[in-house]
Amino acid sequence: MKHSTKIILNIALIACFGVFLFWAQGNLDGYKVQILNLIAVNTILALSLNLIYGYTGMFSLGHAGFMAIGAYVCAILILPAAQKEMMYILEPVIWPFSVMHAPFFAAVLAAGLVAALLGLLIALPVLRLGGDYLGIATLGFAEIIRIVFTNITPITNGALGLKGIPAYANLPWNFFWCILTIYVIVKLLSSNFGNCLRAIRDDEVAAKAMGINTFRCKAISFAVGAFFAGVGGALMGSLITTIDPKMFNFQLTFNILMIVVVGGLGSITGSVIGAVVITILLEWLRFVEYTVEIGSFVIPGVPGMRMVIFSLVLLLIILYRREGIIGGYEFSWDDLVKRVNARRGRK
Amino acid sequence: MRLGKKLLLAFCIVLVTAGFAMAADVVKIGVYLPVTGGNAVGGQLELDGVKLAHQEMPEILGKKVELIVIDNKSDKVEAANAVKRLVERDKVNAIIGTYGSSLAMAGGEIAEQAKIPMVGTSCTNPLVTQGKKYVFRVCFIDPFQGAGAAAFALGDLKAKTAAILIEVTEDYSVGLASFFERSFKKDGGQVVAKLNYQKGDQDFTAQLTEIISKNPDVLYIPANFAEGAIIMRQASELGAKFKVLGGDAMDNPEIVSIGGKSVEGFSFTTFAYAPEMPNMNAIAKKFTDNWAKAFPGKQPNALSAVAYDSYMLIMDAIKRANSDDPEKITAALAATKDFPGVTGNTTINATHDAEKSVGIMQIKDGKRIFLTIVDPK
Repeated sequence: MKHSTKIILNIALIACFGVFLFWAQGNLDGYKVQILNLIAVNTILALSLNLIYGYTGMFSLGHAGFMAIGAYVCAILILPAAQKEMMYILEPVIWPFSVMHAPFFAAVLAAGLVAALLGLLIALPVLRLGGDYLGIATLGFAEIIRIVFTNITPITNGALGLKGIPAYANLPWNFFWCILTIYVIVKLLSSNFGNCLRAIRDDEVAAKAMGINTFRCKAISFAVGAFFAGVGGALMGSLITTIDPKMFNFQLTFNILMIVVVGGLGSITGSVIGAVVITILLEWLRFVEYTVEIGSFVIPGVPGMRMVIFSLVLLLIILYRREGIIGGYEFSWDDLVKRVNARRGRK
Repeated sequence: MRLGKKLLLAFCIVLVTAGFAMAADVVKIGVYLPVTGGNAVGGQLELDGVKLAHQEMPEILGKKVELIVIDNKSDKVEAANAVKRLVERDKVNAIIGTYGSSLAMAGGEIAEQAKIPMVGTSCTNPLVTQGKKYVFRVCFIDPFQGAGAAAFALGDLKAKTAAILIEVTEDYSVGLASFFERSFKKDGGQVVAKLNYQKGDQDFTAQLTEIISKNPDVLYIPANFAEGAIIMRQASELGAKFKVLGGDAMDNPEIVSIGGKSVEGFSFTTFAYAPEMPNMNAIAKKFTDNWAKAFPGKQPNALSAVAYDSYMLIMDAIKRANSDDPEKITAALAATKDFPGVTGNTTINATHDAEKSVGIMQIKDGKRIFLTIVDPK
C-alpha cells in the first residue's frame, strides 16, 4: 500500500473518531462520557508505561510518582487564585504558587515537562540498575514523591489535597492528548530509535556491542514515558477535580501495569485495547453487586463481588493468553488489507 | 472447548438479563460508601445504618423508596464514577454518602454539577461542603470537633499542656490536629510536641519516647482506630502518664480488643450516640432496639447513627418539600431546623454543615461509656 493512501486512511479514521466523539458528547449520558474520558486517560498512561517497560525492557514501577507530579503541576497552574486562598486551611499557600496561572493546554504541557525533567533526573543514577532492581528503585522514587507532597503543605495543601480543580479535561481534550500520545509513540518506535530500544530490550549487551549508546536511549525512553505519565496525571486530576497524595500510591502503578500486561507487552494496539477493556469491565461488572430477583428467588448483592469476578477474568486472560489479549499483534493498514483479501480468497 | 464456549455464552446472557431491573414509580436514593478497601469497616457500619432506616421508612409520599447502593472501593476515581453512575444511569433523587472526606469531595463535585442533593454521612472535613450548593452533611465539621476536644481537655481533664501525634498521610487526621491545636492554644493551653507517623505504621516508640520526655498532660491522637489502639498500647508499655484523647475515627469497638488494658481511660469526641449512653432520646432508643432486631450480634456505633440520620433527613426534606424533585429537596434540606435524629437535633447552617453537639465517650472496664456532651463556641 502506498504511503499517501495510509495517511489518508489515518486521517479518515481520526475524522470518523472525531465525529463519534462529537456525537458522544451530545447524546451519551454523563456516566458513559466519564468512562470514555477514563479510557482516554488510561490509554495515555498505559502507552507511556508500555514504552518504558514493553519496548525498552525497563521494569519501572514509578508511574504513580510521575502522575502525581503531573497532576499537581497542572492543578496548581489551573486553579483560580481565589479557590487556592480558600482551600489551604492548614497553612496558607506560599508565593509564587498562590498566583501562578496558565491556560489548560500550557498547564498540561508543563505537567508533562516537569515530570519528564524529574524522570531524566532520576534516570541518571537509577538506569544503571537493571531488571528487578530498577523496579525497586523506581518504586522508591514514587514513594518519595508521595511523601514529599504530603509534607510540603504550603504548596500542596498536604494530606488534604487539592479540590475544585477546573474540569477542563473533557472528551475533546482527553482524546486530543490520547491521539497525540499514540502518534508520538508510533513515530518514535517506527524510527531507527525504536529499533535501538527493541535491541536494548532483547539483549542490552549485544546492543552495546553494536555501537548503540544504550544509556542515552534508555534515558530518552524513560523521559518520554515520564512526560506522558505526567500528562495522564494532569488530565486525571482535572477529570475528577480533586487530588491528594494518597491516591498516587503504588496500587495506581499496578493498575496501569495490569492494563499493559493484559493488553500485551510491547504492543501499542494492545495497550489501547487493554485500557478500553479494563476500564469498561470494572464499571460494567458493578451489576453483580446488585440484589437480583429471579421470580421469588432473591440473591442478595455482595459488595466486593465485582472485584472477585474481575480478578477471575484477569486470571483467565493471563492463563490462556500470556502475551495479552491481542498477543503482540500490531494493527496496520497493510495487515488489514491482507486479511480482507485472504478472507475473500477463501470464498 | 465448544461446551466451554456455550457455557460462557449462557453465563453472559444470564448476567446481562439479570442486569435489568424493573422500573416503577419510586423515589430513588443513591448510596455510595466504601464497602470494600481501606475504609470498609466504617463504610459497612454506615451502610447498615442506612439499610435500617430504609426498613423503617420504606415509603414516602405514597411512593416506594428504592435504595441503590454502590461501592466506591475507598478510591477517589471510583467515588466520582459511582456518583456519576447514580445521577446519570440510575437517575436518583438524592444521594447519601460517604465515609471519608476525600471520597466525598470527589463525589460532591459530580453531584453539584448534576444538581442532585447529596447528604454526607461522616465526612467531617470543612472542604467537603465549601462553596457547594447541593452538598450537605449530617455530621459536625472538624474545626468544631477539634474545638470540642480542646474544650474537654482544658475543662474536664484540666490539661495545661498537650502533645499531638498526627497521621500525616490522612487528611482527616491532619485537619483535626490543626483545629485542635488552634482551639487549645487560643483557650490558654500549650502544645509541647507535634509529631507525625504514616498510615500502617506499627512502631511508635520513637515518637512516644520524645512525647514522654516533654511530659504533656494530654496526648491528642486524631488517629484511625487500628493505629490509635497500638499507639496507646505502646505508650502504656513505655510507662506514659498522660491521658489520651482521640476523634470520631476511634469510635470503634475493636479498639478494646486491640489495645486491651492500655485503652482504659481513653476518651474521644464523637457524634452524640452510643448504644450504652444513658438517658438517650426516644429516636436513639428506637434505633438501638431496631438495630438489635435487624442485626443481632452486631454493635451499632455513631457512624451507623449518622448514616441512619442522613437517610431520615432526606425523607424529612422530601416530606417538607412535598415533592421528590431534586431542586425542591435541596431547598428543603437547606432550610432544615432542629430535625430530631439519633445523634441529636440537626440544624443545617449557611455552609450546609450540621450544627450539633459533640459527644465525649470514654473506655471504662473495657466498655465504651458515654461521658458527656460539649457544645464548643
